[in-house]
Amino acid sequence: MTTVISLLDQMGGTLMFLQKILRTIFFKKLKTHEIFEQIWKVTVDSFPTTAMAGFFVGAIMTVQFGLQLKEFGALGYLGALATSGTFREIGPLLIAFMLSGKVGAFTSAELGTMKVTEQIDAVRCLGADPLQEIIVPRFIGIIVASFFLLAAGLAMSVFGGILMGELFAGVNYEEYLRHVPLIVSPISILTGLVKCGTFALVLATICTYQGYTTFGGAKGVGRSVVTTAVTTMICIVVMDWMTSFIGDILLTIIRGYRP
Amino acid sequence: MIALIAETLTGLFTPPFRRKEFFQQLYFVGNKSLVIVVFCVCFAAVVTILESSFHMKMVIQNDSMVPGFAALLILRELGAIVSALLLSSRVGAGYASEVGSMQITEQIDALKMLGIDPVNYLVVPRFLACVLGGMMITIVANMACIFSAMAVSQLYLGYTPSMFLTSMQRFVDFKDLIFAMIKGACFGGVIPLVACYFGFRCQQGAEGVGRATTNTVVVSSIAIIVIDFILSYTFSYLY
Repeated sequence: MTTVISLLDQMGGTLMFLQKILRTIFFKKLKTHEIFEQIWKVTVDSFPTTAMAGFFVGAIMTVQFGLQLKEFGALGYLGALATSGTFREIGPLLIAFMLSGKVGAFTSAELGTMKVTEQIDAVRCLGADPLQEIIVPRFIGIIVASFFLLAAGLAMSVFGGILMGELFAGVNYEEYLRHVPLIVSPISILTGLVKCGTFALVLATICTYQGYTTFGGAKGVGRSVVTTAVTTMICIVVMDWMTSFIGDILLTIIRGYRP
Repeated sequence: MIALIAETLTGLFTPPFRRKEFFQQLYFVGNKSLVIVVFCVCFAAVVTILESSFHMKMVIQNDSMVPGFAALLILRELGAIVSALLLSSRVGAGYASEVGSMQITEQIDALKMLGIDPVNYLVVPRFLACVLGGMMITIVANMACIFSAMAVSQLYLGYTPSMFLTSMQRFVDFKDLIFAMIKGACFGGVIPLVACYFGFRCQQGAEGVGRATTNTVVVSSIAIIVIDFILSYTFSYLY
């Protein structure tokens, strides 16, 4: 029972923190310089990680699809299917996992350190609003940077796929890319982008909240980082399902029939 | 890093064997992570089967092969990798912050003073527990995945469980399960090694623990994806 209550407490705390952040974004002056600095920092820091992860994800997807499609002699569709699967689903999911490890844990460690060394209280003492000065730039920075990182990761996944298609399945790159426009529709890409945006929102909220509410020295920082990593991963998987589900319902309503 | 791996591997065969530590760690890895892993993997399986039905309909106009394909994808790839990534954030980050705080509070130096080898005392039981726990968690996660996929295909796609199982039987071998276990064991082995490596090298202060934990999650996730690729590529010649 206590675990359930503490879980609800955490959820409520996170949502109220999100509300505070949104209020700060809309009603107070944005620190444009700091926001751009954060976007740049997050993108540069995580770029190699996401690019590498994307490359290998594309390669894995191609190997797996190649094995199955070989049985049906449908290797012509290999590129299209692997690309579509990566763009719609696996790419955003795995890149969000990477970001939750890299950016989420890093931000929460940074904010946690600031909190336990009382730097955040110092900012407040100087008459500035810590939400406006520290939290909001990171929040916006993570969300904007995640789109750039997603683009980089997906581009690398196509390269990985082409390479493995050539080496493993014997499909050259023209053949690999030929059916892509047939299967990857703008809606697919939009799905991926919406998913990525949702994951980034969840990630940014949780890591700033956990960092901001750290207490108890070095051990507390460690604890809040672990909590961030675990919570973001769970929330990302759940949000993945929810966006798929809600997107499906919305598309059905727009089209007027079930495909 | 390589030195740590070598020391761990020799530590596996040199006494003293710390059985109590091992079971404690196994409890932490296995029982305490099981609920989270199963919960997440179920959601992932639901999304996978819906997506694969979408793609099948697009390419070959019917989705009669979906259960088999989805089961194959779950067993070969999804179950192992999603549960390993979850473990890397839960167990790996936990170990890194634990060992890191031990390092900065000089408990590890105290162990050395007492004549206890920290690798033997800390790393070896964790390594064994993670290998075994990763293997078992992968199996349970795969099972949960297939159950949830079955439920969703019953509700949304209109396949009864028996149709699902029949179609699965055509595609899935016993080999797939073995390979999934091997994958789980390899991923499990990576996590404590990376975590303890960064934990031992933890810098002083609160910032050091945070950085060690972050590095652990990142490096172990990337290592898992790379190892997954290597293993998939190797296994693809064995089917």
